[in-house]
Parts: sequence; C-alpha cells; structure tokens
Amino acid sequence: MPAPLLEVNNLVVEFSTDAGVVRAVDDVSFSVAAGETVGLVGESGCGKTVTGLALLGLVPTPPGRLASGSIRLDGQELAGLDDSSWRSVRGRKVAMIFQEPMTALNPVFRIGNQMIDVLRQHQRITRRQARAAAIEMLAKVGIPAPDKRIQEYPHQLSGGMRQRVMIAMALSCSPRLLVADEPTTALDVTTQAQVLEQMVRLQQEFGMSMILITHDMGVVAQSCSKAMVMYSGRVVEQAPVTELFARPRHPYTGGLLASIPRIREQRIPELPVIEGTVPDPLNLPEGCRFADRCNKVRDYCRLAQPELKPIGRADSKVACYVPD
Amino acid sequence: MEVLLYSLRKLLAGIPLVLGVTLISFLLIVYFGPDKTYELVGKNPTAEQIAEVRSQLGYDRPFVTRYMEYLREIVTLDFGSSESTDEKVSSILARTIPVSLLLALPGFILGNALGVLLALVAAYFRGGLVDKLIMGSAAVGMSVSYLIAIIGFQILLSSADGLDLFPVRGWDTSTPLAYIQHVTVPTLATVFVALGYNTRFYRAVIVEEMTRDHVRTARAFGIPPAKIFYRNILKNSMVPIVTRVVFSIPLIVISGSLLLESYFGIPGIGKVSYDAIITGDQPVLKAVVALTAILFVVAQLLTDICYRLVDPRVSLGASTR
Repeated sequence: MPAPLLEVNNLVVEFSTDAGVVRAVDDVSFSVAAGETVGLVGESGCGKTVTGLALLGLVPTPPGRLASGSIRLDGQELAGLDDSSWRSVRGRKVAMIFQEPMTALNPVFRIGNQMIDVLRQHQRITRRQARAAAIEMLAKVGIPAPDKRIQEYPHQLSGGMRQRVMIAMALSCSPRLLVADEPTTALDVTTQAQVLEQMVRLQQEFGMSMILITHDMGVVAQSCSKAMVMYSGRVVEQAPVTELFARPRHPYTGGLLASIPRIREQRIPELPVIEGTVPDPLNLPEGCRFADRCNKVRDYCRLAQPELKPIGRADSKVACYVPD
Repeated sequence: MEVLLYSLRKLLAGIPLVLGVTLISFLLIVYFGPDKTYELVGKNPTAEQIAEVRSQLGYDRPFVTRYMEYLREIVTLDFGSSESTDEKVSSILARTIPVSLLLALPGFILGNALGVLLALVAAYFRGGLVDKLIMGSAAVGMSVSYLIAIIGFQILLSSADGLDLFPVRGWDTSTPLAYIQHVTVPTLATVFVALGYNTRFYRAVIVEEMTRDHVRTARAFGIPPAKIFYRNILKNSMVPIVTRVVFSIPLIVISGSLLLESYFGIPGIGKVSYDAIITGDQPVLKAVVALTAILFVVAQLLTDICYRLVDPRVSLGASTR
C-alpha cells in the first residue's frame, strides 16, 4: 500500500480563553490517500473546522495554537513551519474553501484580480497568462460567460456563483489536497446539489484528495469514500462510508444517522433526537465524553476515555467500550 | 456624467437641509441672539431712543421678513457689512478663511496620516506590547487638555526656559520660513491632542477589517501579509476613514480653531466668529452659519462620491432610494 498523501498524527489544538485552556482538537489522527475523499462529520463546535484550519496553519494564533502532533503532507512535515514556508504550501499544495461564499471574497476587487493574485503567487506566469488560466478555471466550474464574469465584483454574483469562484480559485494551482469546510451549507438546496456534484467531478478530474467538512450525513453518503465522526474534539468513529452507514459502531454515529429524515420509509411520529448537550469544553468528564447522552452507557464508561481502536473486518475504528 | 447627475441631485436634495439648519440657527443666534442695541444707545436711554436704534438695526421688522432677507443674502452670498467694523462681510471671510486653513491644515493632515499609520501598527501587533504602548499613549494624548498641550509646547519650544526656537504668538505668512515658524507650535499641539482620538478610531476600524472572512481566504491562498494588509484591510477600511476625514473639513474651513486662534493671536475665522457672537455682529454671524450648513451638504456629497471611488458596491445611479 502506497504511503498516504496526508497523515495527521495525534493533533492537538488548544485555545487559551479567560476561563482556561480549551482543547478544540484532542489527539486526532487520520490519513487521506491520494485521490480519496474523506468526510469529517460532527455537530457545531466539535472541532471539525479547527482541524481543517490546522491543516493550512490557519488556526488563529493567539489565542489558538497547535499544541502538539504532526501533519505530514506528501512527505513534508507541516506542523511548526514558519510563516513564509506556510505561504508556499497554502493555495499550492493545500487549498481551502469556506462556508460563507458571501463574505469569503474581497468585496472591493474584481474576482478576476483575486484569482490572478493567487495564480501569480504560486506560479511564474504573466498577468495575461494568469488571466487566461483564471477564465479557463471559471469555465471548468460551470460559470457561464467566464470572460465577462471575471470582470465582475463579488457582490454582482449569486451565492452559488461565488462558491464556484472559490472552487475555481482553490483548484487553480492544482493543489494535492482540498479542504472544503461546509462548502454547500450556505447555498440553497438546488444549488447545493449542483455545486457538490461539480466538486466531486473536478476532484476526480484533478486527481486531488479532498477533506469534506460537513454536518450533513447526506453529503457524506453522496461524495465520500471514508468518513470520520468527531465529537467534542475527538474522533469517535472512522470507517468506509458504506460500512459506516450500514453498521454504525459508535452510539453517537447511530444517533446521527437515526436523526436523518427518510422519505420512503414508514411514517414515524417524531424524528429521533440525541438527548442532552455536548460537555463544556472547559469542564470535560474523566471518561467517555458522550457518556451523558449515551443510551448504552456502562459504569466503566465514565472512568477513562475510550481509545480509537480497529474493529471488524473493514478498515474501521471506533472509540467506544460497548460498540455495536 | 453619472457623478455629475448624482451631484446635482444630491445638491438639490441638500436645499431643504440648508433651509432647516438656517431656520433653526437664525431663530437661535440671530432672532433671539446677541443684540447690538444697548451698545449703541449710550447711557440712560429713553424708550424712544431704544426703539429708534432697534429700527435702525432692523430688529423691529417681523420674523418672516428678516428670515426672507437672510435667505436672499444666502442666495446672493452678500451679507452686507460688519456692524462693528463696517468691513464687507465677504472681505472679512476672504481675509480670515485662508488664515484658518493655513493654520489648521498641517495639523489636520498630520493628525490623520499619523493616526492611520499608528493604527495600522497597533492593529498589526494587536494584543502585543507595541499595541499596548501605542494605545496607552493615545489615551494619554486624549486625556491632556488642548490648552495644556498648547502651553506645554509653548514652554518647551518658544520660551527662554525651553528651546526658544519659535515665536510665542502672532501670525506671518510672508515667507515660507515665517509660515513654518508660526505654524509649528499650534500644529504640534493639534496633532498631540487629535492623534489619540484618530488612532483609537482608525485602529478599531482596521481591527474589524482584519477579522473579515476574506482576509482569512487570502491567507488560505498564501497571499503575503503586506499585500493582504493593503488590498484586503486598508482598501476595505477606506469607507469609514473617508467619512471621518471629509466630515472634518467643514469644521476646519469655517469654525477654525477658536482656541488656537485666540491663544496665538491669529486673525482667523474662529476668532472672527467668536467676536461676532460676543458683540452681536449679526451680518458676520449669519454668514458663518449659512456657510457651515452649505459646507456640510457639500461634504456629504463629497463623501458619497469618495465612497463610489473606494467601494464598487456603492452605486450613484438613480436606484438610490
């Protein structure tokens, strides 16, 4: 088996707050193979966005910091790079797409200029060449009349168009890895499907790896080969998508899947919910962080944190004492 | 063309504003304001003498007549002659406004330019020692009274106890050197006081722009910090900066700095306005009030046009409802 493109080991990201140090990402390890799409799932505040930002060295410092762990991309260690080394990684080797297309572009410059800036930052090309490349990328992501659109300012484009521009910008330097943080959440439903389809198609065309951060299990099912479920800063389950949906091992994953509305199945009076709330990150329990919300909780669950361990035949891992 | 049409529309829309401002200020500082009667009647006047003087000055005419006359003066820009010196009001303004501008402009420009510069530095190192140092000094500058700053700089730079480099007071613009000599101390005092306010304001603006999503996007694509600072942060901070700068212009043109002008004995518009209020010199007062209102309308127009220059989202087209 070839070495994975991205290998994250024991990543810890901490934020100092007035009330104390918060571990937003706690001992997270995973790998992404070349050309693979990995879904990173979890509810708000579980650490999935911070994990994504850490991969680009974008954790706001201070108050945040990468406390320990290693991020190896394509053989290069990224943890602990200085600012100028990071700049040659960002955009060229790893690119990131953000949730809010409405505010993610600079409102006072034409989208063409912003794309040309990125292209010329990483490639030794003339303005004219960069412009041609930008137009080509815009056409690739499905923007009609790209040679006209490139002249426009972000506010003249719709949300879906802006997100396409972001994707075009992200792909323009052919990065090895694309981190997409809720790329379709802010779009309306019809646009969501189109943009997602486009992303998957381009990801295959470019042979990139992709980390898709989302809270939408449907998006994961549609576009990922592997998924990681995060809860309160830790990975609780990691499995191939078919395996994850067919047989969720962690009670939290089971709860997430059960709370997706299904159209074709029998009517149920109420959608199941996971009772309770996420533990306070400043005041974490000794044992399993999901214990208070878990319907299978045992006494020993509260004593020590379960480790992420392999389970079953497939390449699955789960952090639970009483997995399904 | 777009700009021209817009300007015309805006100026027309400014007429009610000028009318409103002039009506209120006419009521307060002209109709019910200071009055020259008792200065002119002499000792122990009889009721008839008072009435006579009032009618000479035109104070006995009805309110509407007097206000209409004022409006006519505004339209023709002819406010008559000063009641104290008989000098034409237009010539008083032509003589004093340039003096006030020459006095205030260096401090205004330096105060804003340095303010933006310090704010950029403070924002860049925000939370750090440099930031704390700059913001601490700003707080000190803001807390020192203008008068103390003036006296302080005078003692340091103009007195025999200090460096004795500049004249203590007075005004002379006959040669560039004389101008620099006379303007330095007032400018230093102005900058000292204004810098604190400006730096605080601009820092808040810049810090807010630094936390925008598009700044993070630019960082995520490996754009170097200097470029981000200029293109994402400074460019987007221009709207509030322009607003603050342009809206200060009417104040320095027309009200001058009363404190500076009276303290340094400089014959500027601030001093003239002050004297007009004290002596009840109504022609001068009326001119100052009207010009202030008009300049504010113009400044507003100017800011809108500047917005268009710095922010493509602003449109000057007919759709501005």
